[in-house]
Amino acid sequence: MRKWLTVISAIMLTGSLLAGCGGKEPGTGTSSNKQPAGKEVTIKIMNFKVEIAEQFNKLKEEYEKEHPGVKLQIDTLLGGDDYNTQLKARFASGEMPDIFANEGYNQMDAWLEYLEDLSDQPWIEHEVDIAKEPTLRDGKVYGMPVGLEGLGFLYNKDLFAQAGITELPKTLSELEAAAQKLQAAGIEPFVNHFDTWFGLGFHNLNNAFAKQPDPNAFIQGLNDGTASIAGNAIFQDWTKMFDVVIKYGNKNALTTDYNTQSTLFATGKAAMNQGGNWLQPVIDKLNPEMNVGILPMPINEDGDLNDRLFVGPANNWVIYKDSPVKEEAKEFLNWLVSSETGQTYLTKEFKFIPAFTNIKAEPADLGDIGAGVLEYIEQGKVLGWHWSKYPNGAAPEFGASMQKYVSGKIDAAAMLSEFQSAWDKMKSRK
Amino acid sequence: MKRWLTSQPMQQSVFLGPALLVYAIIMMLPFLLGIYYSFSDWNGVSSQINGVGLQNYKTILTDDPDFGRSLWFTARFTVTVVLLSNVIGFLIAYVLSKPLKSRNVLRTIFFMPNVLGGLLLGFIWQFIFTRSFSAIGQATDIGFFNLFWLGTENTAFWGLVIVSVWQGAGYLMVIYIAGLTNVPSDLMEAAAIDGASGLQVLRHIVLPLIMPAVTICLFLSISWAFKSFDLNFSLTQGGPYKSTESVAMNIYFEAFKSNRYGLGTAKAVIFFVIVTIITMIQVSITKKKEVEM
Repeated sequence: MRKWLTVISAIMLTGSLLAGCGGKEPGTGTSSNKQPAGKEVTIKIMNFKVEIAEQFNKLKEEYEKEHPGVKLQIDTLLGGDDYNTQLKARFASGEMPDIFANEGYNQMDAWLEYLEDLSDQPWIEHEVDIAKEPTLRDGKVYGMPVGLEGLGFLYNKDLFAQAGITELPKTLSELEAAAQKLQAAGIEPFVNHFDTWFGLGFHNLNNAFAKQPDPNAFIQGLNDGTASIAGNAIFQDWTKMFDVVIKYGNKNALTTDYNTQSTLFATGKAAMNQGGNWLQPVIDKLNPEMNVGILPMPINEDGDLNDRLFVGPANNWVIYKDSPVKEEAKEFLNWLVSSETGQTYLTKEFKFIPAFTNIKAEPADLGDIGAGVLEYIEQGKVLGWHWSKYPNGAAPEFGASMQKYVSGKIDAAAMLSEFQSAWDKMKSRK
Repeated sequence: MKRWLTSQPMQQSVFLGPALLVYAIIMMLPFLLGIYYSFSDWNGVSSQINGVGLQNYKTILTDDPDFGRSLWFTARFTVTVVLLSNVIGFLIAYVLSKPLKSRNVLRTIFFMPNVLGGLLLGFIWQFIFTRSFSAIGQATDIGFFNLFWLGTENTAFWGLVIVSVWQGAGYLMVIYIAGLTNVPSDLMEAAAIDGASGLQVLRHIVLPLIMPAVTICLFLSISWAFKSFDLNFSLTQGGPYKSTESVAMNIYFEAFKSNRYGLGTAKAVIFFVIVTIITMIQVSITKKKEVEM
């Protein structure tokens, strides 16, 4: 009896092993089950936004009703950090999704050879300009923007009123004055989460790159060695804004994580935090009654330069080139942005700010923050997102230097020169 | 009965073959592939793999202070954790091998942290350090709890040490208990009759006799501490400012987040060599101290 058990379990173990290795060759796993026409096909989608997981499933039902024979299979993974790691794991095991997300720019380098060229798709003519750049490579379009997102300081309108702030701050000194008023009224002005490099190296520091007279030329200059961060006036101004955020912020910011920060802000424990319209679903869940708005992040006294939000495409849908159902996948993406049902889902259910001119979004559908961002977009008062243009691995270094600065280990000049050396070190690595 | 069925080579391949095959596919193949990738510029997904010779190793040795820093952190962490977890594990085992009424319950309790996974532990302890400690600190005004836990280099380091020791000591305790129960009681009695004090018995009789357990425990705890990743990942994320980034985490970030798989595997190869050398030295030293009964 025992013997047989051992033999069987040994066989099963070896068997599962072989099964695990079976799909190792990229592509073969999926291309082998090519479907003959007329039969049911399944499009595998890897969703990166946990906030819209439920809504996406409703959309799936609608789509399957309208398109008999096409099934959607949606896997939702938390976006950002772990998404790309997961994607690599699926790629290596031959389980590559047909539609997945990519942030564009440098993030696209690794995947470029596996992406389907979408240049001939009908939605391109409606695409807004700021959304095009990330996935444009050698004149070809590789991705469809998911939606636009705006980044700035979120603020609690009720707490601002309580502190007697009538004029929204547009410059750094006004921001500091507002923070002082809040403090005087017994309200914590900022709640920061400095525990990870993500919000620092990406979102916060983007400010200094975006406010360069020509950000792309500046980044090019950093790569050529003709420009430098250390002596740059905009970067020096940015450190002053960083000072204000630190000075009027929660004391334990270095151990405050994203969830804690969002909770503190949504429950009215602090008046401002760095964030964007992606936080709307979280706030709706924690405190649906909250009056919230979005402010620009001023770094100096230049009113025109500072009264701008940072707006970029949240992410882009891309299609796996070797997918057996890539035509169906293209059709799905096209349906998403051109059909009435798809458009309604994008704005009303997902609450995305559309990246296409033929989709109209009602401010009421988007929620308070989205409406605020939309206003800035319509007035053209926007700057870009540049962190995907940093050399690979530079952002964590930036974040670490900023954490050192927050803890008082280094001064502003040292922080800027650390940025410079991180950039130089990372750009030279292949 | 056919002769060849019972022959030595046949027996060997039937009994060892499957295990060897599994070992070769799961351990050896990835290991050799890793060495191969360490000489390339592969980014993890590309179909293009270019050999770059020793370039990756050169980068690590000449132009990567982060790797050196994480190695130094890992070394300090390993020494502290190995010392503390073995001392504490042994002391608990020593006490719990005495005839106490509640010893089975206590053994279970001390072993329990080991059952929980490192990731989970990290998240739980993060909450304890950042929320519970500060709440206790506010209520009692005890300095220890009012430290800025996980927010400074030192508290983050000691936070990691505390959790690792708390987690690992229970496991080592089990091994030490097994060692202690094998110490013949007639020897102890004889020593006691000869007038040896408790400490003398411990030092001259118990310790030499449980050296095999010490060898295993040291080996285990050294390799755990060196390779620590999950706890590190969930408790501090390497922060603040990368001061608690273990080598395993540095490799992971390089290979999977920065898309430099070649460089990451080169780091892993260097790390492998270091860990191998250290554990080999440790095993050969402690082996010599073992006494045959």
